[in-house]
Amino acid sequence: MTTTLPDTTSQNLRRQVSRSRATWPAWGWSLIGVIGVWLCIIAVSSGSPLQPLNQALTLAPYLVLVALGQMLVITLGPGNIDVSVGAIISMTAYVSVAISSSMGPAAGIAAATGAGVAAAACSVIAILVLRVPPIIATLATSLIVASATLLLADANRSGAAPALRDFVNARVAGIPVIAILVALVTVAVAFALRRTTFGLAVIATGQSFKAAGKAGIRVAFVTAVVYLLSGAFAGLAGALLAAFISPSTVLGTSYMLDSIAVVVIGGTLIAGGRPVPIGLWTGAMFFVLLSGLLNLVGWSVGAQNILKGVLVVLVVVISSTATKTGRSTWRRLLEGRRTSTPITKEKTHG
Amino acid sequence: MTSSTITPTLPDARTRLKVTAVHGSPALLSLIAMVVIFAVAVANQPGILSVPGLTLMLMSAVPLVLATQAQMLIMSVGDIDLGIGYLVGFVTVIAATVLQSSPLLGILILGVIVIAYAALGAIIQKRNVPSIIVTLGMSFVWLGLGLQFLPTPGGEAPAWLAAIGRWRPDWVPAPLVFILVATLLGWLIARRSRLGTRMRALGSSPATLEKLGWSLTRTRVLTYVIAAALIIAAGLMLASQTRSGDINSASNFTLMTIAAVILGGGNFSGGRALPLGATLGAVTLGLITVLLSLINLSSSLQSAAQGLIVLAVLAGRVITERAIRS
Amino acid sequence: MSTSAPNTAVSYPSPNVVAQPTIRATAVSKSYGNTHALNGVDLEVLSGEILGLVGHNGAGKSTLMRLLAGRERPDAGTVRFRDLPVDHSWTGPAAEAAGVRMVYQELALCSDLTVTENAWLSDRRKSSGVGWRRRAERRIIDVLDTVFPGHGIAVIERAGDLPMAQRQMVEIARALCTENLRLLILDEPTESLGVDAADQLYAHLGTLTERGVSVLLISHRMHEVIAHSHRIAVMKDGRVVSVTQAEVTEDELLVAMGGEVRPDAATLDRVVSAESAGPSADTADRSGTRVAAVANSGATQFEAYSGEIIGLAGLAGQGQEELLQKLWAPGTFSRATQVPRHRAYVPGDRQTSGILPLWSVAENLTIAASRAISRFGFVNTRLKRELADHWVSTLKVRGGAKAPITALSGGNQQKVLIARAFAANAELVLLDDPFRGVDVATKNELYALMKAEAALGRSIVWYSTENKEMAHCDRVYVFRAGRIVSELRGSTITEERIIADSFDDRTGEVR
Repeated sequence: MTTTLPDTTSQNLRRQVSRSRATWPAWGWSLIGVIGVWLCIIAVSSGSPLQPLNQALTLAPYLVLVALGQMLVITLGPGNIDVSVGAIISMTAYVSVAISSSMGPAAGIAAATGAGVAAAACSVIAILVLRVPPIIATLATSLIVASATLLLADANRSGAAPALRDFVNARVAGIPVIAILVALVTVAVAFALRRTTFGLAVIATGQSFKAAGKAGIRVAFVTAVVYLLSGAFAGLAGALLAAFISPSTVLGTSYMLDSIAVVVIGGTLIAGGRPVPIGLWTGAMFFVLLSGLLNLVGWSVGAQNILKGVLVVLVVVISSTATKTGRSTWRRLLEGRRTSTPITKEKTHG
Repeated sequence: MTSSTITPTLPDARTRLKVTAVHGSPALLSLIAMVVIFAVAVANQPGILSVPGLTLMLMSAVPLVLATQAQMLIMSVGDIDLGIGYLVGFVTVIAATVLQSSPLLGILILGVIVIAYAALGAIIQKRNVPSIIVTLGMSFVWLGLGLQFLPTPGGEAPAWLAAIGRWRPDWVPAPLVFILVATLLGWLIARRSRLGTRMRALGSSPATLEKLGWSLTRTRVLTYVIAAALIIAAGLMLASQTRSGDINSASNFTLMTIAAVILGGGNFSGGRALPLGATLGAVTLGLITVLLSLINLSSSLQSAAQGLIVLAVLAGRVITERAIRS
Repeated sequence: MSTSAPNTAVSYPSPNVVAQPTIRATAVSKSYGNTHALNGVDLEVLSGEILGLVGHNGAGKSTLMRLLAGRERPDAGTVRFRDLPVDHSWTGPAAEAAGVRMVYQELALCSDLTVTENAWLSDRRKSSGVGWRRRAERRIIDVLDTVFPGHGIAVIERAGDLPMAQRQMVEIARALCTENLRLLILDEPTESLGVDAADQLYAHLGTLTERGVSVLLISHRMHEVIAHSHRIAVMKDGRVVSVTQAEVTEDELLVAMGGEVRPDAATLDRVVSAESAGPSADTADRSGTRVAAVANSGATQFEAYSGEIIGLAGLAGQGQEELLQKLWAPGTFSRATQVPRHRAYVPGDRQTSGILPLWSVAENLTIAASRAISRFGFVNTRLKRELADHWVSTLKVRGGAKAPITALSGGNQQKVLIARAFAANAELVLLDDPFRGVDVATKNELYALMKAEAALGRSIVWYSTENKEMAHCDRVYVFRAGRIVSELRGSTITEERIIADSFDDRTGEVR
């Protein structure tokens, strides 16, 4: 019996190994989407072919920045989601404006990032100490943050510092500086995920928090840092958006849903354990270009939203069959210990 | 010992009461919170203790209670619906536009919503996709549809719907009647019907349900269908109160309903359904908003107060649960 | 192995029942991957008899039971129920319809549902319309009252809120909620029942058999099986090794279950001693330091010294896993437990708490070894690759370091998990029954590896449900009912001794 088995397994193995080498990148579909939408825009509009891409590059970096944090959170595994990013953006926009008017733009950006981390700390305490599921914890945080936003909005009516304004609108060789910087941040995150023990711990936790725990990873610590990072990225995005647009109480509202959609469209596994940082760019560009195209052809905001929603559902359904991710209910996150162990053990009794 | 064989050991009334109390105990904190909030409100504004006062105070809770019952059913099978808020808004839009101009088409659209929910249930079960992402995607769709039909708030609810909203008996606060009916409905579905048993079994242990020969897909689809019906009812009730349509009128329902179910003793892992608790949670959350404006808290601080109260109650639940376990 | 099924000279309690087989398994085999759970089993359960089925961990009892209940199909052989045609497909629903009911060892109640609701879910007699709840309640109460008079269960309670014993009663009563019961399969039904309830159950089984119902009773409580069965089948290594009349002694059964000399034991020993010749061969004079200790409620304290392989034996679920858990995560304030700082854990449940399914072999292997391959949090790719290559070649992991972990067979996955634990440079390595479903060749390699690693000064604590593996240990603690009941060393570590100690419910004291 042992003579026949190895043959078939090694064959399987070879097949699977070769298949894994030739895999289609997870962000491939969204790249096709970007190109497709871009071609459509060129077809219907008369400007320079690079014009729409360039325009999208001025809008996409903020979305990518927020989505970076969201991606890390989603990578943590089933049930992990940060719905407070929108509220944090709105709040930190005011924080950055208020601080930079008295202490300079650099301090403003630092303060905004710090405020984002502080808000995320509230979520972390709720998740780890009070054992509140992440979606509720981040919701409660966003409610508290929304109040802070309103108070800050009452207190100051000034605009962003001119220096910061110039900075976010600056271009090098026609490419927005902010896009280059966010691209560098993306590369740094991608590197951290592959080459640091922390990044590997995040990915391992997302694949199976039980297995990660048994491999000696401090799952709670990893969770805390990831949510804090998400808050920091949202805070930073808020500071920059304050200069790019202007502070308002609804500045970040759309970023909550959009960041999740970008992460999903970019190919990051919803069930966790497989982040795709490049996909954030293709996903965000796709999103920005698509709304540009739809505006161009005169689709209403409503129709655009319908298309967005249908896209998200389709991408999720298709990717679930492609990767066999398995069911990711809350149960696995919250009460994973109670389930599934007896099934495999059953076989050995008797 | 053997003498007890003669009379079957049906649980007596006292046991039944005790067990029911134990099952409902997670909702106790919500009840206490509600009573405290109510007491504070009465102390500030004694006029509340009258039929018109209570009517005003509870009115906003009616749609929320209905939507919370829907969320409770979906959470009892272990899922979560993040599309509820915009769907309720969309229903108010339909009520204020199509349902007024061409009732049959309006009813047809509402029917399509129910079918869409059935499809969602089937997809989530068959494709093993997380319900939060699918329903999140659907929330974009509802929002978009709402904006298509009615880009700015407006329209007018049909007369019969407005009449429901105007119904003000002088012997009982009308919202209380609606809230009790919604709770009773949720209780009949989730706790008394056979389908409700299957729902909770699906959330509790899908493997067991399947082993015993039940179709998981059918159970999940039926759950979503009933939830859709309840959400539509919530939207219609909201339209009957506002007499107009607004896609954003209930956008905070999504998270409020989830919080209400949790406050009322539900959990995220499925298997539990406490209709009375869910109602208490929803009313508590609704009252918080009313109370905060009553005690003249600055409007900026209201949402923070809401968030802190939610966290405090959840923390209280965690602490009491730990105390009970040890 | 000889399989005998004497169906003559059996005295039945009720002479008017004709002893025809209710169910007959002929030459059934079943494998899970590399594990041959059943190897050509012949067994029949006669109408109106209680057939006891005994055997140690992994003998194939549960698999056979699932085949008989139609939950799984045999790879080879047939299962025939009464006079159904042989080619009749014996599936779960078919078995249900034919009147086969099974009580699982792992309780299969929905813990969030009430007792009544649980009973209704499994009751085929679907009552319609209003009042279904009341009828279901009446039915389950009737059965509970008949089988367990004075049970004290309020059927409106949630199943998860009941104590274990009552849950077990509900599980049994639920299976009996049927009109056409023909065959009742019980898997360790008295495991969590009290003495009174167990007696009530056996009394009821007696009345059932008088009505012609057949009962297949799986239990490790020898005296109960002997006292209540008409015949007893003994299973070992996927075979029924003997079917005896009930007038046997416990010792005779124990001998039949495991008293035999293993033919391949010698081969195992040879492989192991050849590969790890050297310091570890001598187990007598260990002079390591104590690296871990756990105070036990029993008289024997758990201790582990460096360079030792310590076995945790006994029947499954008698407290071995709890001890491992204590050693792995002792909690901040627990003074009763002494553990070293660097520990590693090899879970037995590969799929849910072992492998990281999206990663390659190399990544899975090195995730716990951050101390060895990283500086200031940055992973050194070269060191990581070298470490992975070293272990992949040492253990001959098929597919190499780059293969996705899910493409590997169970045995190879287990190699990776064990390599992960040793690559982490831990002082204490905990193994939670890691060799389930692993083929013999792989096992031998891993035994050798464990010995070599122990010789380097690590301390290895190894829980296994397979007693013959315990021969590789320096010391063995035998568990029963959450306590250490005996400590075996050196030549006293024998399969017979472990089986005897783990079944011995008369003393329960340390010898």
